[in-house]
Amino acid sequence: MAIQINRGLIGKEYPPYPVTVERGKIKEFARALGDDNPHYLDDRVGAASEWGDLIAPPTFAVTLRDETADTTAFLKELGTDISRILHGEQEFEIFRPLQPGRTYLCRPRVVDIYEKTGRSGPMAFVVRQTAITDDTNEIVATMRGVTIVRL
Amino acid sequence: MKYARVYFDDVKVGDELPPLVKGPIKQIQLTRYAGASGDFNPIHQDDEFARAAGMGGVFAHGMLSMGFVGQAVTDWAGAGTVRKLGVRFAALVRLKDVVTCRGRVVAKSSTAGAQLVDLEVWAENQRAEKVVTGRATVALPARG
Repeated sequence: MAIQINRGLIGKEYPPYPVTVERGKIKEFARALGDDNPHYLDDRVGAASEWGDLIAPPTFAVTLRDETADTTAFLKELGTDISRILHGEQEFEIFRPLQPGRTYLCRPRVVDIYEKTGRSGPMAFVVRQTAITDDTNEIVATMRGVTIVRL
Repeated sequence: MKYARVYFDDVKVGDELPPLVKGPIKQIQLTRYAGASGDFNPIHQDDEFARAAGMGGVFAHGMLSMGFVGQAVTDWAGAGTVRKLGVRFAALVRLKDVVTCRGRVVAKSSTAGAQLVDLEVWAENQRAEKVVTGRATVALPARG
């Protein structure tokens, strides 16, 4: 039976949340990818670099989650659950690499929701965008993700 | 040489990135990626759950493959050079798959203070099926 997706979420902005990037988290993330670049892993290389410290890999921003939010709540609000979702697309625009010890503010919002029928049946596409700013309110990165819901 | 400095002046449209081969994908890597990224969707961990969800078994996080593509770009262009990375997840990556990430220079542009190189990037499995397709932009230093 097909499920109904709540298109009323289009345009919804979620409360901004702060995340402090932990040094160990950057290293753990790089190691999980099997990426041994010393700019992600070696504190001395980081300290001697143009950034003065370690930097995060380009896709690291996905780890900036709102610890206080219930991840299932968004899916419930959308009208679905975790067994029906797939990651369709992802995009990062990076103005400056994320760095350890810094606190960033993330502002997520739902940009669009649309439906299409593909090879494997009807699907909804949920487009979310998050702006990431630093403690001087300067934009550091944006990320945009498309979640596919199998209807 | 790995992590050799790449200069904007030396890059030509049509240049190809050295391929980056990752895998064969093992469950432990998906578990580590879940922990590192905070994405604990059981569809990447629990075969029974993934089958019941109609996915035919466990598959890798799309973001793991995107991370591989990001590494292919930074292995070539250097850490901290990526200005944009955008991909579409074209097919599922399964356990035991070998993922090869590739890229090609499609454009160069020079503006005040930045020399940008646009890349077409993709990843394919051992059957040469594309699992990720996308674009990247890197900022490279100029010579001299």
